[in-house]
Amino acid sequence: MIAENTQTQMRKGILEYCVLLIISKGEIYASDIIAELKQAKLLVVEGTLYPLLTRLKNNGLLSYNWVESTSGPPRKYYLLTSEGKEILNKLDMTWMELSYAIETSKQMKP
Amino acid sequence: MKKTLNINIGNSIIHIEEDAYESLTAYLNEVKAHFSTSADDFEIVTDIENRIAEMFTEILARDQRQVVELADVQVIIAQMGSAKDFEMEDEDVVGDIPQAKEGVKKLYRDIDHAIIAGVCSGLAHYLHIDERWIRVFMLITIFLGGSGILAYLVMWIIIPRAVTRSEKMYMRGEAVNLQGFFRNFEEEMAANQLMKRSGGFIQEVVAAMERVIGLLGKTLVKVVAVIIIVFGSGLLLSLLVTLAVLLGVWDASPYEIFPLNIVSANYLTQIMMAFFITLAIPLIALILFSIRVAFNSKALNRTVSFGLLIVWLMGAMSSIFYVAKVVTEFKEEAEFSQVRSLTPYKVYDLRIDRTMLLSHDDSLRYDINPQKFADKVIITDERGPFTTPSRVGLMIEKSETGKVSITQNYSAHGKTFEKALENARGIQYGFSQQDSVLNFSPKLHLAKMTKWRDQRVVLVLRVPIGTKLNIKKNVSYSLDRYGSWSCDSFDDDGQDYRVWEMTDEGLKCRE
Repeated sequence: MIAENTQTQMRKGILEYCVLLIISKGEIYASDIIAELKQAKLLVVEGTLYPLLTRLKNNGLLSYNWVESTSGPPRKYYLLTSEGKEILNKLDMTWMELSYAIETSKQMKP
Repeated sequence: MKKTLNINIGNSIIHIEEDAYESLTAYLNEVKAHFSTSADDFEIVTDIENRIAEMFTEILARDQRQVVELADVQVIIAQMGSAKDFEMEDEDVVGDIPQAKEGVKKLYRDIDHAIIAGVCSGLAHYLHIDERWIRVFMLITIFLGGSGILAYLVMWIIIPRAVTRSEKMYMRGEAVNLQGFFRNFEEEMAANQLMKRSGGFIQEVVAAMERVIGLLGKTLVKVVAVIIIVFGSGLLLSLLVTLAVLLGVWDASPYEIFPLNIVSANYLTQIMMAFFITLAIPLIALILFSIRVAFNSKALNRTVSFGLLIVWLMGAMSSIFYVAKVVTEFKEEAEFSQVRSLTPYKVYDLRIDRTMLLSHDDSLRYDINPQKFADKVIITDERGPFTTPSRVGLMIEKSETGKVSITQNYSAHGKTFEKALENARGIQYGFSQQDSVLNFSPKLHLAKMTKWRDQRVVLVLRVPIGTKLNIKKNVSYSLDRYGSWSCDSFDDDGQDYRVWEMTDEGLKCRE
């Protein structure tokens, strides 16, 4: 149970970070985000992404534009706000720290 | 051939097969239920719906098809993920997600089949025993010192509810996989509408109490309905029997009984029928309604209901009409009197004589054989709801002429004065003098064919000053006392009679 919990927490935090990273590269459609996440083998199902995007948007990290689509309804294209960019920078810092911490922990001699 | 439906999802019109539609609806309901606690549920669900619409459009364009099939829905759900998968996002449920293993059983409370909190049905799933045996067992333990109640409460608190579909599948020991999910969609659809994701134990207790009280209330209403059915049917039957009796099915002459002898025989049948309809139809309606409540049967056909209503209205209107008609027969009043001189004595004994004055008519009517009743006195002391009101009054006055006389005033009502007079003539009243004994009949009788029209007899006995009267007590009990002749100690001494004397100021009680 504890292992599951930790795994979930780690995946959750990293998923958010990755989503922000993907969006930071430019305006992007949700299903393309999913494709990239799948490529990164991080996301299992699409349904998980929508609540996450909505939450990030409501926290002011993201905004979106409606773009007409040839196949189906208009699509939401997401982009980072300036606040989102700030947060992403902070997350970058944190990730480096964490990554350092893990690498160091692993390399430390018993 | 399959039936297809048109749906509007994410502002796209999609043709979809019926079974695929059902799966999709179930899935979307599950998604909605899952996000219903979130403030952004509408936005999230709209996003998901838009994406599903897009995927449908893509699939149809790729395969060059017109209609979405069940398989497409399954593919989309697999891609989108079930509510169970979303729970990764749920901060509160983290770490509580059961992992998919085949045939693993876990103990949950089955809130979908709960009587109180689903403990018994949950145990039934876990132990693979029919839930009714567990309930019977629990009921038995209640009588064995109530330990079952405590055990139930403990289990209620300890055992979690099976809320999500995967929990329910664990509860039943089913394989938790996509096929399993699909198998459970339909049950889930119904459950989703009922399920409120409120959570708290207190709320659950309240909900359980509501359910139990509701169940008890329903049972009580049904019991009351059954009682109404039983008693109402009995009442209806007795009403029918009464009607049959009154219409003379068994006895040809029920018209002598009191309330009926008011009504003229010309329309007695009509008025009886009218009353019967007025009473029986609401009773029938009540019984039918109770049957409906008790056995959840269908409502009465509209035409039949209207028919009953119209018949009832007709019955009620004719009842009113005939009652009004009877009332008019009391409109006029007529009175006549007969004066009779009595043989003078110094002392009179006033008595009640219960021997009925029988006319020739009466003898025939009551089928009296004079031989049979030789030397016997017929005593009637009938009292009861069906006794014809009989009003006989006695007034004792001072005689101005010095002679002893009795005046008999007969009065009655009628439609016209002549009728009233005729009705008054129908009075038969028995008064007789035997030497110094004055015999009064306790009630008046009506001659045959005379209807009750509030007939009264008022007797005025006139005696000169100085005459003594020994009045038996039952005289004052049986007759209305007119004027002021009463004695303070009249009722409570041991004597059978009281002595009175006519004085200058009227009748005085002699101590």
